[in-house]
Order: sequence, then C-alpha cells, then structure tokens
Amino acid sequence: MNAIEITDLTKQYGDVTAVSELSIAIEQGEVFGFLGPNGAGKSTTINMLLDFVRPTSGSATVLGYDTQTETDQISKRVGILPEGYDIYERLTGRKHLEFAIRTKDADDDPDELLARVGLDQADADRPAGGYSKGMRQRLATGMALVGDPELLIMDEPSTGLDPTGIREMQELVQAESERGTTVFFSSHILEHVEAVCDRIGILNQGELIALDTLEGLRESLGDGATMTITVSDPPKAAAETVDAITGVTDVTATGRQLEASVTDPRSKATVITELDALGVTITDVRIDETSLESLFAALVAEDGTVGAGIETQPQYAEVPSEVSQ
Amino acid sequence: MSSHVGAVARKDFADASRSRLLWSIIGLLVALTTIGYVAVWAVTDDTSASEMLGFVALPLSVLLPVAALIVGYMAVVGERQSGSLKLLLGLPPNRGDVVFGKLLGRIGVISVAVVLSFLVALVLSIVLFGSLPISDWLAFGAISLLFGLTFVALAVGVSAGVSSRGRSMAIAIGTYLLFVGLWELVTAGPYYVIHDETPPVEAETWYLFVQQFNPLQAYATISSEVVEGDVFPFMFQYGLEPFEAQGMAPAERVSGEAPFYLQEWFGGIAMLIWALIPVLIGYYRFQRTDL
Repeated sequence: MNAIEITDLTKQYGDVTAVSELSIAIEQGEVFGFLGPNGAGKSTTINMLLDFVRPTSGSATVLGYDTQTETDQISKRVGILPEGYDIYERLTGRKHLEFAIRTKDADDDPDELLARVGLDQADADRPAGGYSKGMRQRLATGMALVGDPELLIMDEPSTGLDPTGIREMQELVQAESERGTTVFFSSHILEHVEAVCDRIGILNQGELIALDTLEGLRESLGDGATMTITVSDPPKAAAETVDAITGVTDVTATGRQLEASVTDPRSKATVITELDALGVTITDVRIDETSLESLFAALVAEDGTVGAGIETQPQYAEVPSEVSQ
Repeated sequence: MSSHVGAVARKDFADASRSRLLWSIIGLLVALTTIGYVAVWAVTDDTSASEMLGFVALPLSVLLPVAALIVGYMAVVGERQSGSLKLLLGLPPNRGDVVFGKLLGRIGVISVAVVLSFLVALVLSIVLFGSLPISDWLAFGAISLLFGLTFVALAVGVSAGVSSRGRSMAIAIGTYLLFVGLWELVTAGPYYVIHDETPPVEAETWYLFVQQFNPLQAYATISSEVVEGDVFPFMFQYGLEPFEAQGMAPAERVSGEAPFYLQEWFGGIAMLIWALIPVLIGYYRFQRTDL
C-alpha cells in the first residue's frame, strides 16, 4: 500500500484550473518533497488530501483511505501542518498540545513535544496569541507530531522560521523519517527540499512537470557537474585529451584552467588519471554539482510556462497563500 | 459527527471564557437584572416578587437575543477566517464535530449568562422583596434559557453556513430585525392582500400560526403564562394588528378550543425550530464547502 496515492486529481475554481490531472504515488517511509513556485497548486493539492477542498474530478487515498469518504480514518493517523492556519490566540501553547493529545487519544508528554519542536516551558504556559510566527509554526508542528503519526503532511513547514529553525525542521524531518514516518512536504524553496527528500515532485501551473530522485533529475537533464582543474602549465594538449573522454563535454581552456562539463560521474576520476598520465601537474580541482535551483529553472523553462515567484534564495518572509477560494 | 463533539465543545468554552467580549455580555445581563430589581424596589411599595419577574422579561427579551447573537455569530466563520479551523480539522475532529461542538460550547456560554442573571434575581428577590416564587422563577428561568439558546443556535448555524464574518453578521442582524421590526409587515401584510382587510382579533388560524411563529412572540406568550401579569413582546407595531390583540396569546384569539399549534406551549416548539433549522442548514452547507 502506498502512503499517498493521487489519481487524476483535478481542481477547478471557475475558469481557473488550480490542479490538473495530477497523479503521484508516495511510498511508505519515503520523504517526498513537493516543489513548485507560489500558486503552482501545491496547497490546493494538499488541501484536497486533507478534505479541506473537494476535487472537481479524480481521487486520492491517504494510508489507503479515501480522502473524501474516510476522512475520520485519515485524520487520526496523520500529522498535519496546514498552510494558512492560525493558532488559538487565547489558549496557551500547552493547552493546544493537550487538545491534540486528547483528540488523538494519544499519551504523549507535552513537555517532550515542546522539547522536540524547540519551545521552552515559559512560552508554553502563556497564551499563544503572543507567539511569533516561528513559534506558532513550532507549536503547530508539535501538534502534528502528537500520537506518533505514520504520515506527516506539511505544507510549507519552513514558513516563518529563521535559518536555525529551518535546520531544526530539516533535522526533525530526518528524525521522523528514521522512525519510519512517511513525510510529504511542500516548499517553494529549493534548498529545503534538496536537503531532506528522497524523491521530488515539481509542480508548475497545476501540472506535475517532474517526478524523480534528485540524482534522477540531474541525470535526466544531462548536466551533472562542472569540473574546474588548475594546472601548472598552459593546458593546450591536455584539453584535447580531456575532450576525448566519454562523459565529458564542453571543454574549455583558459590560462591555467581547464573547465569541463561531466555528465557521467565516473568520468571525473578518468579525467584526473588521464591528465596525470600526460605528465600534467594538477594544482587544484574543483567540482560544482548542478544545484537543484538550476534544474528547477531549466524544468520550468522547458515546461514553457514560467510560474510566478520562483525562489532561488532562501526566503524567510511570510509566504503569500495560494489560491484557496 | 463523531466522538469529538465534547472535546471541541470544551475547548471552545475554554477559549470563549477567556474572551473579554463574552464576559462583558454576561456582565451586562447580570447588571441589567440587578438594576431592574433595585429600581423597581426603590420606586414601588406594593410589587410582588412574582410581578417583579415579569418586569425583567421585557429587558431580557431585548438583550438576550442580542447577547446570544454576538456569542454565536463568529463561532465557526471566525475560525474559518483566522485559519485556526485548519489546525482543528487537521486533528481528528471532523466538520460535524466542529459545528455541533461549537454549538454546545456557545450554548454553555449563554447558559452561564442566563444562570448567573437568575441567581442574582434569586438573591435580590429574597433580599429586596422578601420572598422567592420558586416555581415561577424556575419556569421563567428555563424559558429564558431556551430563548437564549434559540438565538445562539441560530447564530452558530449562520456562522457555519457562510464564508465571511461580514456575511454572518449581516444575516444575524437581518434575522433579528425581521423578528423585531418587520414581523407584523410580513405576516399581517399578506393577510391584508389575501383577505382585503387587516387581521381582526379572531383572525384565520393560519395567520395566528404564522404570527406567533417568532421567538420574541413565543417568549412573551410563554412568559405571560408563568409570571404574574402580561409580558408584551418586544416587536414594532405598525397598526395592522388590532390594538386589543396586543399581549393576547394566539389561543385567546380563537373561539372555542384552540388547535395544538396555537397553544402556549407550542411557542417552545417554535423556538426549537428556529434553533434547529439554521443549525441544520449551516451544517449542510459547511459539510459541502471548500475551506
């Protein structure tokens, strides 16, 4: 059984198609990153999984239960961090957790949950209305972790967190994953997905334009890494030798530097040994992995329709909510 | 609906009980009762404790619906607009639990207000008027409770059925104005059109049925039964209704035995229906909406 199975899911708001015939299967134990620019339909998709929004057509199951007819079965087994939520201003952080524990019929210790999400005791005992955005996000994450869910669904979990908070969030996702929890989370920020995900799905304008592992995405786009080799003598003959190696393209020689694109990771070692055999003295080697952001930009461009607001830098400001009406 | 109605109701009550607005409303109801008792005690000598209960009926029939509507109109839609609803629905409670849990929580709030007011009335009745008409007090308290929860339920139902706070407020205020200010027009008006005359005291039974089908009218009718003296409904008069019919129960306006739906107790059914229908419509709409 797949943790999440989305089949031809479509949501239209009047003339606007928010999500178009989306199909994804997410395996149990997997950490899945759902990536896309703002307004791509990520939240609409997640809201359909949570039954906040009803699909125009298509269907989805979560842990084998239908998202529209078996919602009660889903919500007690899943931890949810929704997008565009708010806390109860007048209730303390502790009361929030206690409420989650009671409704989930769990026996978690609120103090332990507080520690896991990085909220201290003093904060937990004052009304959550005074919390910062980041503290609200930590509290909501704590509520999602109640009852040790089999599946965590997190919509933009890094919203409102500072760099430390984001790293803690990633560590938390990794720790949950090690406990066997399936994690499905969305982001419009590439770095956050890259760091923790087993597989990535990229959504643009309501359509899935890529679905693969990070390595797979790199491979399928054919540009793996760039090697920059600094040598002691001007690399004239060396350039020809390197160019002849399979899996290496676009060799350029400038001054004492050789630059080459390597599509096959194994070719990197060949480049070094061939140059060594030539008697070239290598003084430095630098390898730049193609970052996910350039892959992402390439994919979105390939898709032909450029989505709005693609972020290539981490952004800590509040994220505008997606189409939800 | 599932087993989480109680948890939602308790949380909602806990949340509401930290609201200054709701405490102000409770304070206002209690203050009004106190002022009523003290004022009447100060200016009259021969008012009985049972008559005194009748005197607080009018201010209650004005303030209780307003208080109840304020308590209820934000119940569901407020959470929907702030986003806390997503946090709540992300947990095991489902949409039905939210509507009915909220309803119970808000009924709890208005019940506290009514019970406190009546406890104050109890103390003041004994201190100032020397006695407490216990059965009148209990019956009138129960009717006032039903009256209050009718409007709370109406408001919670509306708050579940709409997507914005403004719309909820507009419908709640509109309904109250219909009961208070337009009822005679929408009941006696059609009567005039059909029968070419304004309704007489002994009007057609369909008219009497519709005319009394207003929680304010029902509250006045039943209150008149349980306290000494007549309780007049707090409703605008346009002169379409005969003057003599003011303060007459529907059952008094038919010759012979009144049908069951014109008897005084039927006012209680009318209130319950005004509570139930909006909640069911709100629940139905809330179940089907995209949040």
